[in-house]
Amino acid sequence: MALVAAPSNDRKRVKVYELKNNDWFDRGTGFCRGVVVNNEEAKILVASEDDPSRQLLETKISKDDGYQKQQDTLIVWTEQNGTDMALSFQEPEGCAGIWDFVNEIQGRLQTLAQDDGLSDDIGDSSPIMLPPPNLGNLADIENHMRAANATPGGREALAKFILAEKYILKLIPLVEEAEDLESTPDLHRLCSIMKMLILLNDNSIVEYVVTDEVILGVVGALEYDPDFPLHKANHRQYLSDESKFKEVVKIEEEQIRKRIHYTYRLQYLKDVVLARILDDPTFSVLNSLIFFHQVDIVQHLQANGAFLKELFGIFHAKEQSLQRKKDAVLFIQQCCAIAKSLQANGRAQLYNNFIGNGLLDVIQYALKHQDASVRVAGTDILVALIDHDALMIRSHIFKAIHEKGKPLTDTLIELLLIEVDLGVKAQMADAIKILLDPNANTASIEALGRSNSDFLAKIRGTLPTIPQTDGFIQTFYDESARKLFQPLKDLEGRESLDDLSVQEVSLYSHLVEVLCFFIRQHSFRSKYFILSENLAARVAQLMDCPEKHLKLIALKYFRTCIGLHDEFHNRQIVQNQLFEPILKILFDTMPRDNLLNSACLELFEFIKRENIKEIVKHLVTTYRDRLQSITYVDTFQTLLLRYDQMNEPPTTQELDHSFTSVESDTPARNVGMVNGGKWGQGLKEADADEEAYFNGSDDEDDGLPQPVKMNGASPVRPLVNYPDDENDEDELDILATSAPSASPHTSSQATQTQESPTTSPLSKANATSPPERISEKRRREEDEEDELLASLSTTGVKRRASTSSNASTGSFKSLRHRKNSISSAKDSGGGPKKISLSIPLKSGGEGGEGD
Amino acid sequence: MSIGGSDLDKAISQLRACRPIPENQVRELCYKARELLIEEGNVVGVDAPVTICGDIHGQFHDLMELFRVGGDVPDTNYLFMGDFVDRGFYSLESFLLLLCLKVRHPDRITLIRGNHESRQITTVYGFYDECLRKYGSANVWRYCCEVFDYLALGALVTGAATSLPPTSAPLADNANPDSFPSDDSEIEVETLNAQGEIMYRYARNSDSQSSNPTSNPASSSPIAPTPSRTGAAGTGATSSANGSKSNDTGAVLCVHGGLSPLIDTIDKIRLLDRKQEVPHEGAMCDLLWSDPDEIDGWGLSPRGAGFLFGADIVKCFNHRNDLSLIARAHQLVMEGFKEMFDSTIVTVWSAPNYCYRCGNVAAILELGEDGSNAGFVRRSNGERGGGGGGWILGSNVDGNGNRRLSSVLGEGALGQRARDGPGRRYRVFEAAPQDSRGMPAKKPVADYFL
Repeated sequence: MALVAAPSNDRKRVKVYELKNNDWFDRGTGFCRGVVVNNEEAKILVASEDDPSRQLLETKISKDDGYQKQQDTLIVWTEQNGTDMALSFQEPEGCAGIWDFVNEIQGRLQTLAQDDGLSDDIGDSSPIMLPPPNLGNLADIENHMRAANATPGGREALAKFILAEKYILKLIPLVEEAEDLESTPDLHRLCSIMKMLILLNDNSIVEYVVTDEVILGVVGALEYDPDFPLHKANHRQYLSDESKFKEVVKIEEEQIRKRIHYTYRLQYLKDVVLARILDDPTFSVLNSLIFFHQVDIVQHLQANGAFLKELFGIFHAKEQSLQRKKDAVLFIQQCCAIAKSLQANGRAQLYNNFIGNGLLDVIQYALKHQDASVRVAGTDILVALIDHDALMIRSHIFKAIHEKGKPLTDTLIELLLIEVDLGVKAQMADAIKILLDPNANTASIEALGRSNSDFLAKIRGTLPTIPQTDGFIQTFYDESARKLFQPLKDLEGRESLDDLSVQEVSLYSHLVEVLCFFIRQHSFRSKYFILSENLAARVAQLMDCPEKHLKLIALKYFRTCIGLHDEFHNRQIVQNQLFEPILKILFDTMPRDNLLNSACLELFEFIKRENIKEIVKHLVTTYRDRLQSITYVDTFQTLLLRYDQMNEPPTTQELDHSFTSVESDTPARNVGMVNGGKWGQGLKEADADEEAYFNGSDDEDDGLPQPVKMNGASPVRPLVNYPDDENDEDELDILATSAPSASPHTSSQATQTQESPTTSPLSKANATSPPERISEKRRREEDEEDELLASLSTTGVKRRASTSSNASTGSFKSLRHRKNSISSAKDSGGGPKKISLSIPLKSGGEGGEGD
Repeated sequence: MSIGGSDLDKAISQLRACRPIPENQVRELCYKARELLIEEGNVVGVDAPVTICGDIHGQFHDLMELFRVGGDVPDTNYLFMGDFVDRGFYSLESFLLLLCLKVRHPDRITLIRGNHESRQITTVYGFYDECLRKYGSANVWRYCCEVFDYLALGALVTGAATSLPPTSAPLADNANPDSFPSDDSEIEVETLNAQGEIMYRYARNSDSQSSNPTSNPASSSPIAPTPSRTGAAGTGATSSANGSKSNDTGAVLCVHGGLSPLIDTIDKIRLLDRKQEVPHEGAMCDLLWSDPDEIDGWGLSPRGAGFLFGADIVKCFNHRNDLSLIARAHQLVMEGFKEMFDSTIVTVWSAPNYCYRCGNVAAILELGEDGSNAGFVRRSNGERGGGGGGWILGSNVDGNGNRRLSSVLGEGALGQRARDGPGRRYRVFEAAPQDSRGMPAKKPVADYFL
């Protein structure tokens, strides 16, 4: 038995990936070689490129057919311990070398095994033969295929045959032939055959159908869907339209250009041609192919110095056309969008190279562009950048300040103030929030640190020393905050707010929302700022405007303040008599049941429940008569009672008249869950936290995904809620109200319950308390396995990275029980997980109930 | 520019043709809608007659089919229970059309919030992506999400009739008139197909009927108009109004998901500040996420948000709030609707062939107007005590192996009900014919750089 020669060990540069929690985790880059240990053992080794003495990978080649080659540069397999691994080669040759090595070793090991008489090769299906296709035998071919399609073995054999015989190429001429004959039945058959081929869910077939050679023929056949007999799609026309590809800077590398087209075609297949019929496995094959193409493209471009120079040069040269500059911005935007799905350090590299070439100037340019769509793109890039690494952006801003340049913050503020496009305005407000969020992208930084701290240090080393986020925020309050909130300040002395323009209304809305965000995030700095500028009074002024939604936002500001349980804010509100406008809204809306009225009631319910003494006292002493007159809900009578209780010894067993008191036997812990215990500090737009939150589990019946480690900390709720700021913020103790209690002075809910007698049938029902919600929602391990996809992509902060993919996958759960193909696909899955995003299916599950 | 009057009508007709309206019009529309919605309570009061619809999920052409089957706005009053967006390929057109109709006929159409009307969910399940493709930026998505925050959390339908007025609707081919109740009995439930033909009809339990033997149950096996599908819709035993106590019908609470352990009276919903992203827990979350289930009391929801709640919870809640029925959506039901817990709660699902492939039919629920007799006490059903189950008009035995009746309508009497349910007419329909719509697909990416 001849020894297999180890492949020549010229350095094959590879990235090692490991599938962890459905995420392809980058174990590092290194050089790969195959070694023959002895007659029965051979290994693949990867030594780290940074530190050759460190092995990134050492794996024994097993005889079982567990290896797959995908595209030209990927080898994927499952380790003995069940871990899915992948090697991504820089060069196709390197990949081919190792692949051949693996095959030879396997062949040899299998021969050895057979000598032992232990072969378990029974499952091999008999090969399939189809006749050369012509219009006469299409029906037969379709039937044969359908039969083969029914078993996993048949599917495999069919896929092998199709590829080996270049069968697709033989089918394609038939489309035009049938078109010439106007033979609809044949066209429909061709379409069905083509659909079946693609849904075989074989990587190689899917890769093949988007090549230049066959793509038009394939989609041509798919234009005649028998499900829509009266329609003919125009896929060929759409895909052959070259003008859709915008090449801002010529991409020299032929391979890369090809990949760009392939990616586009794959996306078209996914979104348009197959949108209706895609099953989970094929969907994931498409997604993974798209992903790996994109990774390659972006990696190539960001490492291509000449290319970047030309790209960013577009913004320097004066003679460039405006259209080209615009396209360049959009190009960069697309790069950044793709980058969101890259591993953290790949992304870091890209942004670093971009910034080195002048990305920040491009952002400045784009933000000031006259075309709103370019401004949108600019903000998109900026937000992606902040999401990726807020510290980095902040240090650049610091640098600008030190060099007496204009910091980005100021640009953003100016733009927010003058922007006319209301969509862009909203985006600017968001960008400011994220930039100043002290918790922003802890996740991505963590991810960076986890994966490669050397690398992180390298990047960071190139920047001026990183100032503490704190310092950054301090600088903001010193330098910029006043500018930002100037319009609010200018309200002082304004007589009437009846004539606000749309622009003004929108500006004030954003400013108050930003202010709400600041008081939650920067507690003490914002406090003194608000005090010195007397902003609370200005916000209160807004409650006078006729625009109800602005009133609502202003009201929310006070609700946020009070929710913080901060005496400082409370005192300010009391001293400035700011309940006056709130009560005015309440009285104005009172008989009606509308949103403003509910928001007011919620505020007073909160004060009542939390028994915020200072405010209760202020309210009752100042407005007793007015409060007394409100009887349509019990809230205000209870408030008065609370006050009276405060001022007399707690001997009497007063009846608490909260209208919720009857069924007050619900355990106290429920209280914690009332009305949106948000995990965040509330009111966030879909942002980093939420994204992180989606990373793990976005398919499956919309279950709200598991809670995110909110900026690193898991939001575990205490069993008993003490009135600390965050948790109680939005609670409304609807059920747990103060039962007659021996110690009415205790303000916390903890004491308020459980003692009252059950008085109604209902209270009995409610007494069966809901199960304590495991605060780690949905952290069901078994699900994790099933929960696909997302990503490869997303370790770090993912904004809307792979949303489209997730979108449709989520729905599949409900389909599962009807899709034979799915289960059979599963059965056939002896091999390793397809790299990526293969969606393993959960057996069982709540079949029909989806939504 | 402002969108009003003729502009609005133009936008409506453009959207009816499944063509998106320009971004500035969307903005105006959303602002207008916001002004209207801010005036609505967290639980909107709605008068019967009204047609209650479940999830739509961006299946625009099926929404058109719904309007064809149920009647057009403003001729029919509608109440949509959320989940307008995500999953289907035309979330944008579907939602904007509904919103236009809302602005145009505020009193004729009510929209309440579903769990998919949320920033987080829409970024994952398609609506965000769709807006991005159709407009090139997320602005339209932002405007829509802003509107989501203003949507009411529930609706309370009052004044519904306890029985359906006799209709002159023709019978479906495969209906079995022998199994129908006699003419003078009160019709409690009726199921019609998309052509408006009667498929099944059930009388409210009463003396005169309960003495009737069920006529030849074996021969009356109902066959759905679409036998290839999953089984007869509406094939079920009648609910168990036991007649021990009779009242005029109570109100009907409509909510997307279900009940919350934190909400024991409808008034408490009023105390929520709903203008926010759907929280991850708490009352507002539960209303949009919970599901009824065959359990006792409350259970953890596999969805990770909201709860499961059992028959006892529903009955207590209905009793306490003087409700006769809770209508909700949120779960796919193959037959389009499913009554549970002695018809104290019903799931209505209005997205046929969900995701273009589930093979389910859809349904809408019509509640008639109690024209004559506000406060009128219905005649007694006699002395018969509780228990014993309802009088079965259709058949439980199904020769075709179709789903049993009881799986659709409530199972036998579990307990007494204080209120008789309103008369319920379900119209069941299938996905819009393929040819009326072209192939559903997402909009392809227009230009590409990479």
